[in-house]
Amino acid sequence: MSLAEPATLPVATTSVAPRLDLLTRLTARVKASLPAYLLLLPSLVFLALFTYGAMGRVLIDALYQRATPKAPLRFVGLDNIAAVLADPAFTGAVVNNLIYAVGTAVPSIALALLFALALARTHAVNSALRAALFLPVLIPMVAASALFLFIFLPNVGLLDYYIGRLLPVLPNWLGDPDIALYAIMVITIWKNAGYYMLFFLAGLQAVPEDVMEAAHLDGAGPYMRLRHIILPELKPTFLFVTVIAILNAVTQVDHVFVMTQGGPSNSTNLVLFYIYQQAVEHYDIGKASAATLLTLAALMGLTALSFRTMANREGAP
Amino acid sequence: MLFSRRLMLGLAMAGTMAGALAFPALAGEGPTEIDLFFPVPVDGKLARDMGTLIKEFNEGHPDIKATAVYTGSYDDTLIKTRAAIKAGKPPAAVIMSANFLLDMQIENELTNLDSLIAADGTTKEKFLGQFFPALQGNAVINRSVYGVPFHNSTPLLYINADKAKEAGLDPNKPPQTWAELTDWAKKLTKREGDKVTQWGIAIPCAYDYCGWMMETLTMSNGGRYYNEEFGGEVYYDTPSMLGALTWWNDLIHKHKVHAPGATPGPAVSTSFISGNAAMMMLSTGSLTYVRDNAKFAYKVAFIPRNVRNAVPIGGASLIIPAGLEADKQKAAWTLIKWMTSPEKSAWWSRATGYFAPNMAAYKTPDMVEFLTKNPDAKTAVEQLDVAKPWFATYKTVPVRKNLEDEVMLVLNGKKQPKEALAAAQKAADETLKPYNAETSLKLP
Repeated sequence: MSLAEPATLPVATTSVAPRLDLLTRLTARVKASLPAYLLLLPSLVFLALFTYGAMGRVLIDALYQRATPKAPLRFVGLDNIAAVLADPAFTGAVVNNLIYAVGTAVPSIALALLFALALARTHAVNSALRAALFLPVLIPMVAASALFLFIFLPNVGLLDYYIGRLLPVLPNWLGDPDIALYAIMVITIWKNAGYYMLFFLAGLQAVPEDVMEAAHLDGAGPYMRLRHIILPELKPTFLFVTVIAILNAVTQVDHVFVMTQGGPSNSTNLVLFYIYQQAVEHYDIGKASAATLLTLAALMGLTALSFRTMANREGAP
Repeated sequence: MLFSRRLMLGLAMAGTMAGALAFPALAGEGPTEIDLFFPVPVDGKLARDMGTLIKEFNEGHPDIKATAVYTGSYDDTLIKTRAAIKAGKPPAAVIMSANFLLDMQIENELTNLDSLIAADGTTKEKFLGQFFPALQGNAVINRSVYGVPFHNSTPLLYINADKAKEAGLDPNKPPQTWAELTDWAKKLTKREGDKVTQWGIAIPCAYDYCGWMMETLTMSNGGRYYNEEFGGEVYYDTPSMLGALTWWNDLIHKHKVHAPGATPGPAVSTSFISGNAAMMMLSTGSLTYVRDNAKFAYKVAFIPRNVRNAVPIGGASLIIPAGLEADKQKAAWTLIKWMTSPEKSAWWSRATGYFAPNMAAYKTPDMVEFLTKNPDAKTAVEQLDVAKPWFATYKTVPVRKNLEDEVMLVLNGKKQPKEALAAAQKAADETLKPYNAETSLKLP
């Protein structure tokens, strides 16, 4: 075999001349982009190690399961995914997460827009107010949760201390399954509104000055200008902030860890916390991986959709 | 030239970093290096005390170099230990929540300590005989020793003595039965119209604490909560637990002497310290906190009974994970024996507020002096006579949560005790199913 190879090689090259041409062009191209790949190599290595590697591992883990605690792992195909979808705790977590996503995204974006419109002009007072509104962003979620834990403390906490004078029966903010999720949502809104405000402030800078002036001359009032110029101009910002807000609603669960552990009675259980519970408390890596895959798929779908909408908008004449 | 110096530098750096990741420092000659994972489950300066303890150990044992690694709460410590075992680098010893041992043993994550005890020329009975009998249940599985009790607790009834006197009650004769406790709670609740300004009693309910309190009330009502001999059964849907939950529910919704809803442990202790609740049931682990913060006279007493005096233990044991090299295992065993000796056990107890599991600790002169100065620390030790093991089953945490989720609904007035316990039993049976399929229901 090894003797035959050198003999066949020249025959092949001479008989297929166009392909050789293609080959040289390809090598040339590879040669040209080689430095680029080499430059990317360090980050690629780390991405592979810590991102793609982990994702691949999740994909594999999601396909295996033990029948009984001491039985060996065996391939079960999509059984884990089916088990997750059939688990009422998972569907409960998805419903909670939907309420949480809508209930935090809408108010925090509305507040952010309001703040940005009110503080659009830069002067000393506005700068100070902007800084004040941005402050919650600088506080780590875990620290903020610890603070709110005290604020929500039943009977003796800051909130009950003031509200206690008005209400006959004090709500147990984090201990009542009907209220706990909304108490958690308040923290998210408080923490994120200032952050989204920054994007809207940046978006407002991009509203063309001449169009505004023209509208002004044509006699358009403040509401007309907002409705027909500012809001349409802010559309990409809205889209971007909405995506960020929804991603946050899925990936930020620090306060659930610190404040409620998903309780009482699973009323504040969110999808990411469910995954943690499956992996850590139930020690069920298969089910945790399957739930992770489902979440990843949903998030990727959402991101792809939003990017396409954005691309369409920019591509349109 | 495209391959600039910067690129080369970058490549070189990436190479070094990858190298550093791939080849951790090679173990050199010298003392056996071991890690001890330890949690800090209560407030205080436990981490610093642990540093002092390990430093003293290393000075006395030049052939071993132990390092104390702080690993968060009890639950976090379990997670980190399991991750370390999975990564093939288990720590040599871990201070593990006493009721996680069975679950770990089922998952083959523990070293059986019998051979280490035998190698010391002693017997299991003699070795375990050093510790309070109530603590042995959580350390022995299938008649083999898997853990050594390190620091332990029991639930206590804390009473605000000033408020009791105000209400015409004698704090030196604390309530001994549920009937007396209900009566006390009624007298200690203050109302302004519909509004309660002072609650008679507070009992914590958050994940972890809630299950422990349910076990406390069930045991005081004659029940067992779980099968002590076998990890595949819990007794949620039973008269003893129904009585316990119904009484708790009555305190809230019938007598209105307990704030509604599920209240976590720290909120309960804050409520007690601030005078908002006149009595509370809480761990002995909070005794130091109450002693340091209460601005009023307080009393601690046994948990009152309905059928019998009985409480579960809490706290942690020292374990050796599976899959260690022989020399590390031996070093870990030396460390564990040293840490649970009477002198060290007594010192740790005084530093933390937990009681010392080693009975001989209470005969050391320092401890005798401490107890004369702080007689309230004695109540927990005396209650040990009626203490029983902490619930431990296959998948302890999820099985416990199956109950807690339902109890929380009852405390919030959303379900009646009977149907809640039936639902909890059903959920727990489902969680325990795989284990039973492998054990009790695996038939020839």
